Amino acid sequence: MNKWKLKDVILMAILGVAFAAIYLAVFYGGMAISTALTPLGLSAFGFELIYGVWFMAATLAAYIIRKPGVALVTEILASVIELLMGNSGGLTVVLTGFIQGLGAEVVFACFRYKKWNLLSMSLAGMLSAVFIFCYELYYLSYYLLAPSMLAAQLAVRFVSAIVFSGIICKLAGDALAKTGVVKSYAIGSAVKAGKVYDDED
Amino acid sequence: MKRINPAVKFVCLLVLTFVLAFRHQPIINFAFFALCVVGILSSGTGVKKLLILLSPILLAAVGMFFTGYRFSAGGGMPVNTGTMILTSSHVWNGLIHASRVLAFAGGGYLYCLTTDRVLMIRSFQRQFHLPQIFAYGLLAAWGVFPHMMQEYRRTRAAFRARGKNPFPVSPAFLKPLLVKSVRWSEALAVAMESKGFDGHEKRSEFEPVRVHWFDWLFCAVCAALCVVMLIAF
Repeated sequence: MNKWKLKDVILMAILGVAFAAIYLAVFYGGMAISTALTPLGLSAFGFELIYGVWFMAATLAAYIIRKPGVALVTEILASVIELLMGNSGGLTVVLTGFIQGLGAEVVFACFRYKKWNLLSMSLAGMLSAVFIFCYELYYLSYYLLAPSMLAAQLAVRFVSAIVFSGIICKLAGDALAKTGVVKSYAIGSAVKAGKVYDDED
Repeated sequence: MKRINPAVKFVCLLVLTFVLAFRHQPIINFAFFALCVVGILSSGTGVKKLLILLSPILLAAVGMFFTGYRFSAGGGMPVNTGTMILTSSHVWNGLIHASRVLAFAGGGYLYCLTTDRVLMIRSFQRQFHLPQIFAYGLLAAWGVFPHMMQEYRRTRAAFRARGKNPFPVSPAFLKPLLVKSVRWSEALAVAMESKGFDGHEKRSEFEPVRVHWFDWLFCAVCAALCVVMLIAF
């Protein structure tokens, strides 16, 4: 535990807060799509389309800090904050945070925490999707649904994971690095940034 | 419910949720949801507030009902004998999915509406031995949250003043929010370390969060509920 600096942990927790707020906002968007698809029996796809958003905190924090365990811990912290904010998914949100974070962490560990690019981030999101899907087969009784439906759900979840936790997180991380605010983290050392202006400047 | 130790309440409700996930009985799910609603209302939450919070969940439940109804698995799925009978009915399958959404959300809302946030983190630190550094991180982040919301509103107002109205989760709003978040995290870390909260040094607590007799009583009630859920029907 001594390898963690308070600065890293607070950044992870604050990213968790930011994304927990985004999750809640996106949840209502998902509800709207879900409701529109209800008459077709495809309401589950409302959330599948945006499922990748729930993997973003882990991949973005790992991309910035680039230390072992960051993806897993950030996702758990984000899930605890989601619980604090009043989550509709129930208490198991902390467990789902652990499972999703573990999926991302496994991918970064396979790359030995040396590859930080679109491929590793997309794969991290996709493995998170696989892990959480396996859990939902039991927890949400998805195994009672038709296999073709399950395959379609997983395919859409993969696309969502690539778009949100791969492409968008990579762009967001690079944009943050260019502003210079993350120059004291691993990502900042790889990017040449301009002067960071304070509120008073 | 508000007096119960947050860590104890968390474990008890989590176990109940998993017992529910193990069963495929809509009646049990609906009964648990009803118990949760009673628990929330008896803890002082207004009916109107609860209805507002539950309205998206009710919509999700209706959606999952139709998903379960229209896309039931065939008889070859890995389910037990009792479940095979249930899956033969599309309506029943829909009810299983819909009632699960309600039951799980009910447990979640029962917890968050009857638990003090700061006390919960302190309780996790004491009862679950959550490392101090993560407890500090969570408390700091929770303290920053109102500022983040204020920053978001300020950015939105700035765009409106210029006659622009981007999408609520547009990068135009989120980028400044992320930049500010990173800067706050650094400033907070420096401030906390300067006051001795570095997360590694052992610190004493003014008022430790303890487990009382009524927490054990709550455990016993939940254990009894688990037994009833497992043997009923």
